[in-house]
Amino acid sequence: MNDTWIVAEKELRDLRRDRLFALLIAFLGVATLVSVAVASADFRNQLDAYNVYVANLAQSGSTVTAAAPQLFPLKLLRGGIEYLEILGALFAIVLGYGTIAKEKYRGTLALFLSRPVSRFSFAGGKVLGLSIVWLGVVAALTALSLLAVVTIGHAPIQGIDVARLLIAGSFAWLYLVFWTALAVGLTALSSRLSTGLIVALVIWLAFVLVIPQIGDTMDPDNQVPGGLFATLQIQKSNELAVLAQFSAFDGIRNGLEVSSVTKHFERLTFAFLGIKDQYNQQPLSRVWAAMLPYAITLTAATAASVLFAALATTRRTLQRKQL
Amino acid sequence: MTPSAISTSALSRNFGTHQALAPLTLDVPTGEVFGLLGHNGAGKTTTVNLLTTLLEPTSGDAIIHGHSVKADAAGVRGSIGYLPENVQFYDNLTLLENLRFFARLSGLRRPDARIRDVLGFLDFTGHDNHRVGTFSKGMRQRVGIAQAVLHSPEVLFLDEPTSGLDPEGVRTLRETIVRLNHEFGMTIFMNTHLLSEVTKTCTSIGILNHGRLVHHDSLRNTLAAFPADESLEDIYFQLDSAAA
Amino acid sequence: MNTLLTSARHEVLCTLRARVALLLLVVFLGMVSLSSLIGWITNTTVTRVYAKILADGLTTAPNPFAGVSSLYYSRNSVIYVVLIGALMAIILGVQATLRDRKSATTDLVLSRPVNIVLRLAGQFLGLGAVIASVLAASTVISWASISVIVGAPLGIDPTLRLVGFAALSWVLMMIFALLGMLTGLYSRKETTALLVPFVIWSAVAFVLPQIGTAARPVALLNPVAALAPSDSTSFDLVGAITGPFAITEQFKRAASIVLRDDSVTGSPLASIVLLVSVLIAIAWVVVVTPRRTLRSGLNE
Repeated sequence: MNDTWIVAEKELRDLRRDRLFALLIAFLGVATLVSVAVASADFRNQLDAYNVYVANLAQSGSTVTAAAPQLFPLKLLRGGIEYLEILGALFAIVLGYGTIAKEKYRGTLALFLSRPVSRFSFAGGKVLGLSIVWLGVVAALTALSLLAVVTIGHAPIQGIDVARLLIAGSFAWLYLVFWTALAVGLTALSSRLSTGLIVALVIWLAFVLVIPQIGDTMDPDNQVPGGLFATLQIQKSNELAVLAQFSAFDGIRNGLEVSSVTKHFERLTFAFLGIKDQYNQQPLSRVWAAMLPYAITLTAATAASVLFAALATTRRTLQRKQL
Repeated sequence: MTPSAISTSALSRNFGTHQALAPLTLDVPTGEVFGLLGHNGAGKTTTVNLLTTLLEPTSGDAIIHGHSVKADAAGVRGSIGYLPENVQFYDNLTLLENLRFFARLSGLRRPDARIRDVLGFLDFTGHDNHRVGTFSKGMRQRVGIAQAVLHSPEVLFLDEPTSGLDPEGVRTLRETIVRLNHEFGMTIFMNTHLLSEVTKTCTSIGILNHGRLVHHDSLRNTLAAFPADESLEDIYFQLDSAAA
Repeated sequence: MNTLLTSARHEVLCTLRARVALLLLVVFLGMVSLSSLIGWITNTTVTRVYAKILADGLTTAPNPFAGVSSLYYSRNSVIYVVLIGALMAIILGVQATLRDRKSATTDLVLSRPVNIVLRLAGQFLGLGAVIASVLAASTVISWASISVIVGAPLGIDPTLRLVGFAALSWVLMMIFALLGMLTGLYSRKETTALLVPFVIWSAVAFVLPQIGTAARPVALLNPVAALAPSDSTSFDLVGAITGPFAITEQFKRAASIVLRDDSVTGSPLASIVLLVSVLIAIAWVVVVTPRRTLRSGLNE
């Protein structure tokens, strides 16, 4: 354990002085701020449009009242979560790759391996160090999100909202550790440094972007701008009844989506933050009950990824001749 | 009098405030094998980089086979061959594909026959379609020589050519250098650490110390100027320390 | 001219010899092949959903898919060019210029009578040829699969539109390939060389369109455009500023018009001119790279 901690500690010190890392995290922070700003501006536009609509109704003498758009503060974070899904995973891969690549490239690996260190101390230390880094990043982004919702979004935050945000943050941490550990393992395995990175990027492309994109575009409701059912003016209950007739197609579509760890992360965070209408303003116990399978699969995927990193990062793979 | 293949006049190079090469004036006659000696950081590689136009001089000029490195860099590049220290290639390409690329860049339109001639001269046949990534250090060095002489250059620059080679590789390379000089009259400019190689291959030597040329003469004159029982190594250290 | 062609030929050879590049090409071609199938399955299902809604008497609105063009089935390809195609181009571009710096072959090249502009232009042409070949293959696959789906060979007009879409895709992919070449030339680390264009791509593909249209990042991956915000004056203003920089959105717009997607209207000309201008500008920046930059070493 001591060796592992020494490696982790060195990793933390190294990353603290890494300008590229600072740049990436700053980019993620800015993207989160932008998304909150855009979402709150969009909400204000909706509210203005509603007020104009209500004024027009009043002028025309109508007594019909329309429901005002309601602001749910945590919904403003949807864009931020999506950035974490896409860019967070990308940056986690880069960090995982970099931590192994620099040791291989600089030749410091030989110095480390010539010491009496235990079998898993190198991989364990690297993953532990990066996990601590991601914990710090997620904590900072959570605080930033909270701040952005209150200041930019002018939305009141309650204790329960903070709890929801913290739960979502925990899942974000698991998700980022998953990608980092995967990249560590792949880079250790590859005989050419850039191959490890590129293979990790291809996996990222497939599981973060392409598979969810296919699932999304196969959704019948996504075929028309504004939604198919809304265009045809179909009530929600009727929509569900119609879709029940096409359960096989929806099963394939859903199967595709759940093959991606990104969708598990998305469904979890969207549920806990109330971004998904179905779970908005629902008690946490109900959200937990519905989301438990996804929480288990995301945790299991992260554990598997860490195990892969530990098993793949051996003396033999690390010392393989660099082509 | 033999015309100069390499002629420098007050050629110098600074990196920021550091003077890597003090104004250097040097003549290497055509057909010579010139060895440039010096400790690490003496300015040997900088000199070769300036003469091969890879670096631009801070001041002064050099004429390589009638072409100025400042005014006619393209002309210089057309008449030289260059083998850098620790030469590397495109590992995914075969020997033939690598050599074709460099030959074409040197203006050879249909280079295959010439490539086979050069590989035959270097006694390096049977590897044409093997990927260079699988070659040993010694084999790579021979590919390096091949790419440098494909276009029959007038002047050949070798930067630490024996670096990292085993004794057999060193001997093969030495024989190749001598044959290139004798059979084709190629002028050779070589940076080296190995004093033993200098006595076996060079006709004249120069010694650089902290960017300054402290000695330049034929090998024969250099050896004659010192007692007969002194080796070139002794002479080198005497000249080098005298300059320091 | 010799340098140009030799460099182009060399680039093609090196790219095809690198297994990672081939992996990316296979992924791209595979996804383009799949996209028609996905489009067809989805369209068939949605038509059945509509028929069911109609039969249940839940709507009297006309079928929104009744008049879709045969090219509807390839609209997912637009997204795959932005996602896979652009990222593939970045990796190919980075590898092109980083190759010489990594293997220290730069000095071997530069010690020859080689014009730098022609050398870099040759590499650009070589990459262009590889990407054009991939797009040609993907166009043939799309043409054949759509012909099978609609039960007849595609006519002249849709065929020309598919070719036009391939040409547009080439322009977008070459922009990203050049971006990769540029970071491959100037970065001091391989990681930075790969990462910087990825970050720029994500900013261009997600952040800029979000600022300009309020579209969420994931919604931008759907070939069906999101609805404009209800009162979009503020977004119109920002969108007017960010729009020209959001080149992936310009590409999606032009490609949708070329592929006859009725949800996007207007002329694609402005978007095409913008894309070509960006291509020319970035190509110029790449080819004027000084010799000393080419020789600069890597720290990793």
